[in-house]
Amino acid sequence: MNRILYILFGIMFLFTACEDIIDPTLEDAEPIIVFDAWISDTPGPQEIRIMLSQPYFDNTLPPGVQGATVQVTDNLGVVYDFFEDLTAPGVYRWTPALPDETLGHVGRTYTLSALVGGETFESITTMERTTPIDSITFTFDEGNSFMEDSYIGEVWARDSIGSGDAYWIKTWKNGELLSKPSEINLAYDAGFSSGGEFDGVYFIYPIRTGINPFDQDENDVFLSPYMPGDSVYVEIHSLSDAAFSFLSQVIIQTDRPGGFGELFATPLANVPTNVVNTNSNGTPAVGFFNVASVSGMGKKFVE
Amino acid sequence: MNFNFRILPVILAGLALITGGQLQAQSKYTINGYVKDQSNGEALIGATVYIRQAATGTVTNVYGFYSLTLDPGTYTVEFSYLGYQSIEQEVVLDKNIRIDLELPLVAAQLTEVVVEADRDRENNVQSVEMSTNKLDIATIKKIPAFLGETDVLKSIQLLPGVSTVGEGASGFNVRGGSVGQNLILLDEAPVYNSSHLLGFFSVFNPDAVKDTKLYKGAIPSRYGGRLASLLDVRMKDGNNKKYEVTGGIGTIFSRLAVEGPIVKEKGSFIVAGRRSYADILARPFVELLQDGGALNFYDLTLKANYTLNAKNRVYASGYFGRDNFMFDANQGFDWGNSTATLRWNHLFNDRMFANVSAVFSNYDYALAFGEDDLDKFKWSSNIQNYMVKPEVTYFINSDNELSFGGEFTKYIFEPANALGVSDGAAIDISLPEKNTIEAAVYIGNSQKINSAIAVEYGLRYSYFGLFGAGTLYTYDNSTPGESKEVIATETFGRGEKMQTYDNLEPRLALKVQMNQRSSVKASYNRMVQYLHLISNTTASNPLDVWTPSTNNIEPELADQFTVGYFRDFGSNQDYEASIETYYRDTQNQIDYIDGAEILLNENLEADLLIGSGRAYGVELFVKKNSGKLNGWVSYTVGRTELQVEGINRGQWYPTRFDQTHNLKIAAFYDINKRWSLSSDFVFITGTPTTFPTSRYVVQGIVVPHNTNDSRNNVRIPSYHRLDLSARMEGRQFKRNGKERKFKDYWVFSVYNLYARRNPFSIYFSQQDVRTQPGTPTTTQATQLSIIGTIVPSVSYNFKF
Repeated sequence: MNRILYILFGIMFLFTACEDIIDPTLEDAEPIIVFDAWISDTPGPQEIRIMLSQPYFDNTLPPGVQGATVQVTDNLGVVYDFFEDLTAPGVYRWTPALPDETLGHVGRTYTLSALVGGETFESITTMERTTPIDSITFTFDEGNSFMEDSYIGEVWARDSIGSGDAYWIKTWKNGELLSKPSEINLAYDAGFSSGGEFDGVYFIYPIRTGINPFDQDENDVFLSPYMPGDSVYVEIHSLSDAAFSFLSQVIIQTDRPGGFGELFATPLANVPTNVVNTNSNGTPAVGFFNVASVSGMGKKFVE
Repeated sequence: MNFNFRILPVILAGLALITGGQLQAQSKYTINGYVKDQSNGEALIGATVYIRQAATGTVTNVYGFYSLTLDPGTYTVEFSYLGYQSIEQEVVLDKNIRIDLELPLVAAQLTEVVVEADRDRENNVQSVEMSTNKLDIATIKKIPAFLGETDVLKSIQLLPGVSTVGEGASGFNVRGGSVGQNLILLDEAPVYNSSHLLGFFSVFNPDAVKDTKLYKGAIPSRYGGRLASLLDVRMKDGNNKKYEVTGGIGTIFSRLAVEGPIVKEKGSFIVAGRRSYADILARPFVELLQDGGALNFYDLTLKANYTLNAKNRVYASGYFGRDNFMFDANQGFDWGNSTATLRWNHLFNDRMFANVSAVFSNYDYALAFGEDDLDKFKWSSNIQNYMVKPEVTYFINSDNELSFGGEFTKYIFEPANALGVSDGAAIDISLPEKNTIEAAVYIGNSQKINSAIAVEYGLRYSYFGLFGAGTLYTYDNSTPGESKEVIATETFGRGEKMQTYDNLEPRLALKVQMNQRSSVKASYNRMVQYLHLISNTTASNPLDVWTPSTNNIEPELADQFTVGYFRDFGSNQDYEASIETYYRDTQNQIDYIDGAEILLNENLEADLLIGSGRAYGVELFVKKNSGKLNGWVSYTVGRTELQVEGINRGQWYPTRFDQTHNLKIAAFYDINKRWSLSSDFVFITGTPTTFPTSRYVVQGIVVPHNTNDSRNNVRIPSYHRLDLSARMEGRQFKRNGKERKFKDYWVFSVYNLYARRNPFSIYFSQQDVRTQPGTPTTTQATQLSIIGTIVPSVSYNFKF
């Protein structure tokens, strides 16, 4: 909801508010262990990363944590071993034994356990259902003072009947993942959040059009997201309720509107985690574990 | 609906006790009447009526009425009011006497010199009142204003104990209270959002405002419903002698007001309107505005009154205002207040003044988005009030002024009437309406014990009820700081009682006069707040939700103690000074879990956290009332903190509006008859905010993290600003020496003279680029200034 407002106010007032990049001193903090464990049933190997947190202004790649033992087990006792990639510190990989083997089944519960430096970390999640993509369409929008003549992409997918489904719609334009915080496109049923009660219908318009990269030129005019000849690939990843809530809060904390939109922004706060140290007095961890079922569709835009 | 009136007999008994002894005192006589402005018939609020021989006096009430009861005799009665010539009258008091009096304004050429030593008997030092500040519209109009527009709320912010979190933020904070803890009354109607254009302008049209009074403490029993303060804005009655047109053309909006008699000396009216016109000027150039887009605000203020006879007078007043931010005809955002007040003043007898008000108030906002009818989203929300408020003042004798009355309000909350349409499928996502009743009865007496000691004491009994239809939720509270799970629900039918609360609110104020020039005052008051403003954004904004108390949200309580020293000095006592300390303890304060969803959330209460608060500080105020150079200095040092389980490791933390130092200087200088200068300087400590310590990467996104789980652990840099304005009067006389009927003046003002980029907030973000796997992402901190530049403006104002 707030995202729309940010755009509204951002556009109207950006020209009067002014911003400076500053370099404030921050409190020191010990590094903590970070789990980036988002695995799915897409064909091919699956990766889990274990890293350390960095001081906020440390603009290097996060250090990987080596020498951990990482396993994912489902509630029927199937074990998936993630082996350390010795050339890429912190990366642990499961590789299918057979070419068509994938990780996970909808409805099963998965437990991540990792032994890191003598401490055991655990996380439990369930693989939820996803929903298929019907089609991807493009419509022409005449430009205005803020925007060029544009082709707007729209992904058509219908939320599965029954409330409580959560999805992460990921988009690749010409092979490049739309990875900005403002491009995280989430759906709870067919709407923005659990209170919305949009169930069993097509995703609402802002979600359907959440597959568009809105880049600006040097005059702050928005460029057409897609042009004839572009290709787009969209995947819908299922999310657990907790993962949806995690990503929603990641958006709040990372997709800063800037300008007058900051009047509507919430103050900085920590986002939750579902990874716990089995020893409650041990080192805390952050990060998230989700096992997704995935649907996908690609399209090349021809006029 | 069953009311708990158990307190009523107590109050009636008290009333009998206080008044009983006085009723037989038939040998005394009463002088009463109204004090008005001679030029336009406006009632003067707070004018002094002083009896020299008896060394006693009183002040006029908000309707300009006074009543004094004395032994028979011959007296000199002096009527005075700041800025007006005093009038003395000899009175032989051998029967009840009515004196309605009109005071002439001090002629312009005299203002520089004439200051009567004892012009204001019930002033800074003598009155029991403390922790209050009065600003008349003449002073407000002198203060340099943003974009040249005189503003009531911006002026209030120059007073001690009052602050704001920054430009563009709606509302204001008083003594460390939140924006929602202020009760703002416009002719007795509550105003739920006091701002236009987010927070840049207030909704009050200065052309229609007569008087504003801010109560920060020692709040009389007549008022209740909010913890921190009460801002009482009174509208002009309208000139009852002649027709008058006032107006102005400014940078942002234009104003026009018409006032005049309905029946000369008996009734008058005022109609005042304002509208911003940036969008009208821009329409030819901006395509968006031609397609039905809008960016404007306007308001209309109306009032009429009629004196039926010597004992009865009626008033009707109304306000209607709206802000529009529309992308096109179907998409955008708008909000506004509307209020209506009907009042009836009645004199039961010479000593008993009564007023009954019937009030309606509504605040609503609406959002609409959508490409076409197949895909759209509409959401509107409102809060409606219907209120009846009888009040009686009984002027028992020159030493006792008893007031009693009640207040009965029905609220209807519609948090969301929302409809979403996705590819033609419509889904109603409205939240249920909430019905509540808030009622109160009160009694209070202002008593002069001897020439040095005066007390004001009172008791207020307040009742709150939440009625069906509706659902009450019970939550699992076991993990503080996380969204709570519903463990039980209970549904209620229409009109069924769901939850009630009641509270006794004692109020006490004491003045001990040391000598003519100094006094010590102290007060205690308990305030109760049954409605809560839900806002978890950096600054309050028009989308904030008001919600009533429920089984999970208990009424907010505040106990405030104040002590102050008041002194006048200078050869003509033209300086007044005060130092006050306050301590306020608050219970049932609301904060939010991280990531709380406060809009369109049926289980809003699951995301709220309840804790306690404390605020304390010292306020210094020095004011020079007269002379070529006048103005004031106000300084507050204070702290306001909350303790909530689940936030900041359960430790006390400063609130978002904790601003340690708060210095304001306002100065006015009359150069000559044509030119005058005014200036103000503001310094406020930066607001607290939370900085991260660390960052980590999840799915390519860099997440900020505070490893110590701190809340508001640092402060943004201080805010300071200097404004200047010059006023040039138009020619006042014609060539032939006659005074012109048409009066005009220009105001040239400069806001933020040294163009400081005052920070509003500092936020942390990753660079707005798509990072490729295997490459690091840069993170940065950005300091945002809402107005980071010097803002000059010109306005032209006229009156005829």
